[in-house]
Amino acid sequence: MTLLVVRLRLAMWRSAMTRSALHLTSSVLGGLGALAVVAVLGPAIALLVLQPERVVALTVPLFASLTLFWTVLALAAAGVDNVLDPTRFAVLPVRAWPLSRSLLAASFTGIPAVMLVVLALAQTVAWTRGPGTVLAALLAAVLGCLTAVLGSRAATSVLAAVMGGRTGRLLGAVVVSLVTVLPLGLNLVVSRGGLVTDLASFDARGAAVAASWTPVGWAWALPFDVATGRWGPAAAHLVLAVLLVAGLWWVWATRLARVLTSPLTTSGGQRIGRGRLLPVLLGRSPVGTVAARRVRAWYRDSRLVSIALRTAVLPVFFVLQAVVTDLGVFAGIGVVSLGVFAGLTLMNDLAFDGEAWWLHVSTGLRGRDDRLGRVVASVVVFGPVVALTFGVSAVLGLVDPVVPWLTVTVTAFLASLALATLVGAVLPGTAPRVGGNPFAASSGGAAQGCALALLSFVGPAVLVLPVLVPAVLTRGTAGEWVVLVVGVLYGLVLLAGAVVLGGRWLEHRAPEMLGRLAHAQL
Amino acid sequence: MTDPGGAVGSGGTGGPALELDGLVKEFRGRRVVHGLSLTVPRGSLFGLVGPNGAGKTTTLSMATGLLRPTAGVARVLGLDVWADPAAAKAVMGVAPDGMRLFEQLSGRELLHYVGGLRRMPHEVTAARAEELLGVLDLRTDARTVVADYSAGMVKKIGLAAALIHAPRLLVLDEPFEAVDPVSSETVRTILRRYVATGGTVVMSSHVMELVEGLCDRVAVVADGRVLADDTVAALTAGGSLHRRFLELVGAREGVGDGLGWLGTAPEP
Repeated sequence: MTLLVVRLRLAMWRSAMTRSALHLTSSVLGGLGALAVVAVLGPAIALLVLQPERVVALTVPLFASLTLFWTVLALAAAGVDNVLDPTRFAVLPVRAWPLSRSLLAASFTGIPAVMLVVLALAQTVAWTRGPGTVLAALLAAVLGCLTAVLGSRAATSVLAAVMGGRTGRLLGAVVVSLVTVLPLGLNLVVSRGGLVTDLASFDARGAAVAASWTPVGWAWALPFDVATGRWGPAAAHLVLAVLLVAGLWWVWATRLARVLTSPLTTSGGQRIGRGRLLPVLLGRSPVGTVAARRVRAWYRDSRLVSIALRTAVLPVFFVLQAVVTDLGVFAGIGVVSLGVFAGLTLMNDLAFDGEAWWLHVSTGLRGRDDRLGRVVASVVVFGPVVALTFGVSAVLGLVDPVVPWLTVTVTAFLASLALATLVGAVLPGTAPRVGGNPFAASSGGAAQGCALALLSFVGPAVLVLPVLVPAVLTRGTAGEWVVLVVGVLYGLVLLAGAVVLGGRWLEHRAPEMLGRLAHAQL
Repeated sequence: MTDPGGAVGSGGTGGPALELDGLVKEFRGRRVVHGLSLTVPRGSLFGLVGPNGAGKTTTLSMATGLLRPTAGVARVLGLDVWADPAAAKAVMGVAPDGMRLFEQLSGRELLHYVGGLRRMPHEVTAARAEELLGVLDLRTDARTVVADYSAGMVKKIGLAAALIHAPRLLVLDEPFEAVDPVSSETVRTILRRYVATGGTVVMSSHVMELVEGLCDRVAVVADGRVLADDTVAALTAGGSLHRRFLELVGAREGVGDGLGWLGTAPEP
């Protein structure tokens, strides 16, 4: 059965690639990216073999954090790889244990898993100091890779169970959004320590011992323990690592058994508030109606909640970093990038509506009303966040001088909104499926995704430049106020142009857009 | 279109409610609808039947402005759907099959949303929404998000959304799918009453008994072509629509003597 499932997965992969050139391109690009990472990291790790023990000990914290990130990233990417969704096996007479074995084997055929295995083998090379350490390193590689893969499986399956209902999904979105910005938090801690520049005095043994007592480090500590002759900890680590693998497997198989007997996720009829405030605030015109729905979606739709949280949390780290490092420029960059990100969230707004957008087509809604309604919603949702972040940073004295930073922030927000409004009317982008996992890739790595990503990076920079230069030149003079006014007007003109042009395009190409939206949710 | 005095939809008089003329649709060079022409008189309850993949949904999408035809003309109450989409959409209500609704809205919010998009006065929208929710037995779930609705409830709220602006023409794709018998009877009553007051309904279905009992005219479509288009009485000619349909689309020979192994698995 294992062979059958692996073959099934490869067959599905192949048919997905032959069916769409976009899928093929993204797979090839992903594969090349993975190859590049392995080509750089692999030899670097393997060459540690030439270094003394205190340096090779680096593999323990390195692979422990790799295992941790693997699990966290799997949570973030769950649903991307749902080719072998276990619910699809529910009608077949299979048992959970054999199925989990087969699915485990199949998950090692993916590009990320192959990368992990290659790097783990490089780790084995690094520990080639004697038969004992090689054996221990091999054992570590096997147990460590199993921990990573089974850990991600167990975590996603447990999370999926929690997120069956709408409230659970919202809760899960909040938790995982915060977890996925964890690396940034680590970065904050590390930035206090400074960089290691001298290998001669570098000693990773302390870090290795510390990492070896975390669940993700148990397996990877084995070769280090053997090499340093710490037999007691080696035995303890081995037992703990084996127990962890067994435990994770048990959790996952138990969830599988549950899924196989109740494949249909149930969600109770949740009621929602009356939402009387929004129509009063935004009016009952078509623009206000569209805006009110989008605002509601930003807090009701778990997919958007996770995006909003990540967008809002990201700059907080920049501001914190500015406080920690005493470099005000970080706060400024944080606030400006918040403006850009907040504006760009409109880019795949249509993809989030998906086919439901037919209602706009069928009611004959004017394109510019559709565009403007979304802009209003984004301003209502993100305007206060941008203003608050800027205000706090300004009060803390982090953004200095204030007026030029304000000019750039406001222009960046308006210009990004304009860019997203126009581009979003032409290229709908992609979004995770409704009611599905909110952490599925929000941009398919296809050609359209590449174009959108490029536009997202280059577009705001190009659009802000005409205001950025005078803002910098006039700082500290009375001219900075003039530039502020001009910058705001410039942003508004861009926005008005985007609403009119985007609206016209959308109106003319509505049926074609509807056809694309049918495939916009992954 | 001859429609003197602008008496649009004043009953069974005037031009046809829906007129399809030589509609063609190609997907990547593959033709799925072949020059389809069809005329739906005002005040009729028109059934569009056909086997799976016959092109019913494609045809109705082209008639309602949701899918651009490769060639051909669609007119709604004399208005060219593709020359002036907004004008045509203002007089018709559409409930497509299998297309999602805005699921983060509650049933009531969805109806208010459609009313807002159609620029209806809020009081009118609110009053009609309550009435529709009541008649369609959705009032207890009016504050539940559509994402949590069952398939039948989604059908009903979709119908309500299509009716709220009191259109002259109602285009429904598989309106009875997944709807329970009680609600189904309610929907039938609504449709009959709607037609009696001068409205026109075009609905697709593959349940022959339902079409036979409800519609007054029927068109049989297969492989993107109209095979027959007549009153139900004339088409069935005393027999059942079911039998006539099978004759028209060329029912394949039954399974014959094959599949003899069915049910031969050993007892556990």
